[in-house]
Amino acid sequence: MSSPDLYNRRFFLFSGKGGVGKTTLAAAFALSCARRGERTLLMELNVKGKISTLFGAGEVDHEIREVDDNLYAVNVTPAAAMREYALMILKIKLVYRAVFENRIVSSFLKVIPGLNELVMLGKAYYHVNETDEAGRPKWDKIIVDAPATGHGIFFLKIPSVITSLVKSGLMFEEARRILDLLQDPERTAINLVTLAEDMPVNETLELARVVREEMGVPIGVVLANAVYRPLFDEAQVAHLNEAHAALQAAADAGDKHAEAHPASGFLEAARFRNARVAMQQEYLDLLREKADAPMVEVPFYFHDRMSFATIDEIAEHLSRELPALANPAEDAADRSSSSAG
Amino acid sequence: MARTDDEAQASRHFERVISERQVVICVGSGGVGKTTSSAVIGLNAALSGRRVLVMTIDPARRLANSLGIEALGSEMQQIPLERFKELGLEPKGELWAMMLDMKDSFDRLVQRHAPDAKTRDAILDNRFYHYFSTSLAGTQEYAASERLHELVESGEFDLIVLDTPPTTHALDFLEAPERLVDAVSSRALQWLYKPGVLSGRSGMGIVSLGTNYVMRTLGKFTGGELLSDLGVFLKTFSSLFEGFEERARGVIDLLKSPATGFVVVTAPDSLTVEEALYFYEKLDRDALHVDAFIVNRVHPRWVSEEALALPPAELATALEAPPLPALDEALDASALAALLLENASQFELRASQDASSIALMGDRLPKTMPILQVPYFNRDIHSLAGLNQARTALFATSG
Repeated sequence: MSSPDLYNRRFFLFSGKGGVGKTTLAAAFALSCARRGERTLLMELNVKGKISTLFGAGEVDHEIREVDDNLYAVNVTPAAAMREYALMILKIKLVYRAVFENRIVSSFLKVIPGLNELVMLGKAYYHVNETDEAGRPKWDKIIVDAPATGHGIFFLKIPSVITSLVKSGLMFEEARRILDLLQDPERTAINLVTLAEDMPVNETLELARVVREEMGVPIGVVLANAVYRPLFDEAQVAHLNEAHAALQAAADAGDKHAEAHPASGFLEAARFRNARVAMQQEYLDLLREKADAPMVEVPFYFHDRMSFATIDEIAEHLSRELPALANPAEDAADRSSSSAG
Repeated sequence: MARTDDEAQASRHFERVISERQVVICVGSGGVGKTTSSAVIGLNAALSGRRVLVMTIDPARRLANSLGIEALGSEMQQIPLERFKELGLEPKGELWAMMLDMKDSFDRLVQRHAPDAKTRDAILDNRFYHYFSTSLAGTQEYAASERLHELVESGEFDLIVLDTPPTTHALDFLEAPERLVDAVSSRALQWLYKPGVLSGRSGMGIVSLGTNYVMRTLGKFTGGELLSDLGVFLKTFSSLFEGFEERARGVIDLLKSPATGFVVVTAPDSLTVEEALYFYEKLDRDALHVDAFIVNRVHPRWVSEEALALPPAELATALEAPPLPALDEALDASALAALLLENASQFELRASQDASSIALMGDRLPKTMPILQVPYFNRDIHSLAGLNQARTALFATSG
């Protein structure tokens, strides 16, 4: 399994189940790129802008704005993306209005399968290829916080769906170009975010399979988020269990003091952590065994609330962990057969 | 966890309200335990003697396994409740479950409402149909609400619990019927397959630009054949829409009737709580009955403030006090005490975060709204005992 240093690629998608911290990790990864001095664009798609909250910046909307040194963010809505895209083609605002803001046309656009998704991907594609006055790429890194899985799979399938439905027209050409970008391991990586828990892990394994086999999109890393660091070693865990059982037995036997034993709550809290740690380790093993992609654990940070400080810590963590993955390239041939045409 | 009087009262209130509903719809963001909550609500009603169906959109394999079935399918299956006797319970009713396969639901819709066999096959075989039925915003929700309506009409169940898709907009489910009707509204359609529009002969004029120009521009965008094929498809499909609006109205009436209650499910973190409150506001504005909030995975407060302030040396001494076993040679009491304190204060932080977002919820909701907390259990919730533990947390019953 070859895993080139992620920082060598330019276009990144973050995907995962709702509630696993996908946006947080996309933002942290973007920050880690910006810290390396790379001009980075973080794109949220059609959500209530969480990024503004994370960076304490003003409302991030469809205008690109700087939220930290070298780090720019934008929130892409289908309507805004459609407008930009149509204007690029039609060149004339008046014509755009007449065509696209026509009530009948807009109700018609609603029923074209995947058009919304396509124009949002199209906008990302545009930024990947955008150049400055000197003809150099305008962005070193483009990071897309893709919709939660389920919908996310559909989202990524759109270009291939469209190329299978139509064989001509701008939509077809656009889809074809986007597909080429998505399947290019030199430029693109999709990172799958998950929690070390049953449902997110199963969904992630399924997503990894679909991404690899049906879409041919190169997987960068699987990020297991919010992993508790084990605090207690094996001997301590065993003793704590024994102590807890002894206290329980005494309480069951009617010992009034057992309930109020000063260590009682501490033992409960420790058992809770140990149970979570043991469970998470099982799911991490499952991911390592079955995801067929490098895995990076992201620790759970105990903080007052999700804030810039947390993003900062995760960014530091990623910039240490990700390059470490870039092991000497093994034979990549066994994986090249997976690219879908 | 010791229950306060308020919590016990909220549970009793919730149980009473649910016992009067025929439909309970769980809404909430993804990953908050909505499916498990739906199952637990259904389970409780079934144990107390009602004939219950739980409809989910989640394959929820482990939940299915913990209930003693292999997997949920789009066919209804009965859940064997005898196993709950192991926990000392007396199941009196029936519990059924099914997974709502969206595509399957939409196919049923076509089969039920196509005017004739020819139209039916023309739709089901159309190359657009698959994408249309699985991907158009609202089609899933529409199919789910149609299926719900159908099952309520059949009168087979005393209670149907529905676990909705994790939408970013709570009301997609309610607005879907109207939106769908609107998106493919007959007016736009008629216009689309008006003779001559696509072949470039002038149709009805649009201010300052001819229709055929508009269509040609659009055609440049989508590719000509897509536009005409889509037109053909929509034309065929529109034959289904006879009565679409009427049925949509029926669904909306059902959702607004006193027979239906909504339960908002959330996790205790502040972002998710904000989303849940936003759902509530929208539901409330539409005059829908919200019966309760369920907060899953609430971190218990294991250690009191005073205990957390214990000097480590004192906790180290306590670790060797009877009835606790003596420490092994290899273990150091003060090192262990330090770790126990660190761990307890970390989880105290989580518990206090949870408590403050729940307090915030209480402030922003009517005083009478039950807010039911399910603690974060040490054990796997996907087990008979785990489900029952969640049940006793939600409902006042302990038997």
